Amino acid sequence: MARYGMQRSALTHNVAFCAGNQEHGWNDPPQFSYGSQKDSGGPKRNILNKRVHAPQFTGSGAEMPSPSVAMPTPPRGMNPPPMDSITPPSVCPKTPSDGKMETEPSFEDVQEPLYGALNACRHTVKKQICDDVERRLKLFEDMWKSGKLSHLVKHRMHRLSQDLKRKNWDAADEIHRGLMVDHVAEVSQWMVGVKRLIAEARSLNPEQNICTDPGS
Amino acid sequence: MATYQEFIQQNEDRDGVRCSWNLWPSSRLEATRLVVPVSCLYTPLKERPDLPPVQYEPVLCSRANCKAVLNPLCQVDFRAKIWACNFCFQRNSFPPSYAGISEVNQPAELMPQFSTIEYIVQRGPPTPLIFLYVVDTCLEEEDLQALKESLQMSLSLLPPNALVGLITFGRMIQIHELSCEGIAKSYVFRGTKELTPKQIQEMLGLMKPATSGQQGKPLAPHDAAAASCIFLQPVQAVDMNLTDLLGELQRDPWPVPQGKRPLRSTGIALSIAIGLLEGTFPNTGARVMLFTGGPPTQGPGMVVGDELKTPIRSWHDIQKDNARHLKKATKYYEALANRAAVNGHSVDIYACALDQTGLLEMKCLSNLTGGHIVMGDSFNTSLFKQTFQRVFSKDYNGEFRMAFGGTLEVKTSRELKISGAIGPCVSLNTKGPCVSDNEMGVGGTCQWKICSLTPATTLAMYFEVVNQHNAPVPQGGRGAVQFVTQYQHSNTQRRIRVTTIARNWADAQSQIQHIESSFDQEASAVLMARLGVFRAFSEEGPDVLRWLDRQLIRLCQKFGQFNKDDQNSFRLSESLSLYPQFMFHLRRSPFLQVFNNSPDESSYYRHHFVRQDLTQSLIMIQPILYSYSFYGPPEPVLLDSSSILPDRILLMDTFFQLVIYHGETIAQWRKAGYQEMAEYENFKQLLQAPLDDAQEILQTRFPMPRYIDTEHGGSQARFLLSKVNPSQTHNNLYAWGQESGAPILTDDVSLQVFMDHLKKLAVSSAA
Repeated sequence: MARYGMQRSALTHNVAFCAGNQEHGWNDPPQFSYGSQKDSGGPKRNILNKRVHAPQFTGSGAEMPSPSVAMPTPPRGMNPPPMDSITPPSVCPKTPSDGKMETEPSFEDVQEPLYGALNACRHTVKKQICDDVERRLKLFEDMWKSGKLSHLVKHRMHRLSQDLKRKNWDAADEIHRGLMVDHVAEVSQWMVGVKRLIAEARSLNPEQNICTDPGS
Repeated sequence: MATYQEFIQQNEDRDGVRCSWNLWPSSRLEATRLVVPVSCLYTPLKERPDLPPVQYEPVLCSRANCKAVLNPLCQVDFRAKIWACNFCFQRNSFPPSYAGISEVNQPAELMPQFSTIEYIVQRGPPTPLIFLYVVDTCLEEEDLQALKESLQMSLSLLPPNALVGLITFGRMIQIHELSCEGIAKSYVFRGTKELTPKQIQEMLGLMKPATSGQQGKPLAPHDAAAASCIFLQPVQAVDMNLTDLLGELQRDPWPVPQGKRPLRSTGIALSIAIGLLEGTFPNTGARVMLFTGGPPTQGPGMVVGDELKTPIRSWHDIQKDNARHLKKATKYYEALANRAAVNGHSVDIYACALDQTGLLEMKCLSNLTGGHIVMGDSFNTSLFKQTFQRVFSKDYNGEFRMAFGGTLEVKTSRELKISGAIGPCVSLNTKGPCVSDNEMGVGGTCQWKICSLTPATTLAMYFEVVNQHNAPVPQGGRGAVQFVTQYQHSNTQRRIRVTTIARNWADAQSQIQHIESSFDQEASAVLMARLGVFRAFSEEGPDVLRWLDRQLIRLCQKFGQFNKDDQNSFRLSESLSLYPQFMFHLRRSPFLQVFNNSPDESSYYRHHFVRQDLTQSLIMIQPILYSYSFYGPPEPVLLDSSSILPDRILLMDTFFQLVIYHGETIAQWRKAGYQEMAEYENFKQLLQAPLDDAQEILQTRFPMPRYIDTEHGGSQARFLLSKVNPSQTHNNLYAWGQESGAPILTDDVSLQVFMDHLKKLAVSSAA
């Protein structure tokens, strides 16, 4: 039941998440994506913060306990819920903006900026580190080509490589973090190589730090 | 009173302070008669997006035993460039850099809206933050895999120039050399042999070798730092190797025979971790992060033996004095905790297991240092994974929400002294004119150390009014308190946050109604609750409840309006009317009732209770309950069994759990699948509404709460049923006539019965 409810919420709020681990943790809360947990800096809604207090000392002198809300309870039989008399609002889910509906990116498109950055680093960065990064990029390639990576990971890596090409270091870094948090099982072995690549490429070009919208 | 509500809210927004009384009684005798002490909750690093820090040193009073910081309460002579300290009345000259100030050109720290102000100061070279992972390998395969992935993920979340280290343990302890190249090496320690800090440092090569006849001397700091290089390295240099190292971690290889627990040498592992940091980076921000999947079963600090047939201690065992290892283990971890605290290092405990892990014995490691305790069922749960991610969460400025090496100093005006503090801190044993002899909480000092802080960390501070009875109300009419918190920001800057508050003195004889209307019942409930929980650490449970009850009765006797011996005439004014209810729920809470919780669970709940801010603490005392129905928008309802109705969905927030409870009819409709049908769209929306409201809490709260979706008759409904006031039980079900709401099967007293007793005792002339 919880799973059902949560999937609906995912569609209406464009928050990618899944139910928690019901086998190993009782009452495990649902898992939220990295992006949805960040503090956007706006005022906290803090909607659930009111209490109703037992009117014990308001001077009425009544000894009766606090009255419950005087609403009629529906009949105990299995009558259906009240129907909406007005037409329900349309609930077409918002099209997720991260390109799920688009075709899958090609590996070559993703690979090119990554190797481009790696080659640029070879002059200044120690050979051993470059080799280590390359080893991990190869692992990434293997996993991609053998179908072990999900759609979402492939799309986000595509965006990351585009950001790398445009020298948007912060944006690329943010995508790498999001991937590590949301898809650690798929990416943990090779993502650290990408992380190092971004860091080394950034230190070669420190003045280029424009943080454009990752979606552009 | 409306005006006091606004005053209280404004002060909280600006200074992060909530006082029990906002008018202070002018004599000691009167203060004790008010029952609730003059005290406040203070959040030193409250998030203030509107408060940009200033980049200069604070100006201090020149008197040697004062040194208060210049603040808006000080009198200033702008022409003579002199200011008078409001605490000791010393006249001080402004430093040369203030030559240009005037009435129309005041420095920020003199302006009333900057009663809380933050300074960025230079104090030596910036030191990196340190994260030392101490990882239990006696886990199930799946659990270990999930933990490894979380640790690998965390490397991407750490500040890039932070230092990171890895210690793994099971039966033996391995401290791993982290290097960028070559073969991975580690030093192995036996889990049974207790070592002194010196021995550990020697074995790790952190000491100069002893020459003939001489003791080994610790290395000079830069040498020690160089030597520790191998164990603590910058993340950005070793992330790839460390990722591989973590990926290759295996379960503890020692086989566990049938009927036995794994041998886990947590005590020595922690000793090595703390010893390593002590020898290499004293007085730098550092976190030891312990990840453990079971209790320590070997070596010093063991909590239970390895025979499964001997269960780990329960409250029953403890009460019967049947917990063999408890005293010794607690003492061992307390010693470690104090060593860590002295060095400004904090210890986190991430304990994920289905059985207890020894939090009762180890809690001081986190409680004294400000570290986190996270308790889960397995590392392979979203509760652990997301809570752990949130340790590294960033604020609106993109900066980490963790601060290190905090010291809090409190100054008071002459008529007040400081009795103590309750929160995640240790005493620095600093004597001074502000220190009272009557201790409440951690007392006997005016300075405390908080090794690790977040923007939510809140301390309870208790004061004593020292003016003699019938002494005239002090000149100037206001008492003042200054809080000075020095700390290391996560971006390694050193900062000082100064908050200066003042409240008017009032003569309790003639102005008791004014004092009464200045009462902050929410703050007072939390302040008294913390005192109760503090007592519970050393006193028997029933004694604490008796003490709490006695204070409540005295408060009602003092402020209630009633005719003697006439219970029905009893009234409390609006500023106190909610207080008895808070006390009622506090008495039933897991902080004071250990029944139905394991010792570890009680320790966990109490750990969070004594550090959260007021709003969260109040949620813990008296959970919030909201009702969703077809009849109107969601509304808060009484935390009472009468709120449980068949056609309502209830959302309850206890801080540790979020419970969504579907009434009987709702549950039947849901089971029949009405939400799938187009004509019943509104029912689908009704089911969704509480989930939407719960989302914000689920996405931001630390630690992440458990999420319980249940319904009428469901076994998990007990989470709701045990919290609501049982106004209807099997005892009185038929006495009320018309049935409404769900009866609770309990013998607990209801709020009504509690209130009746309270009124009776308050009005009694025999008291």
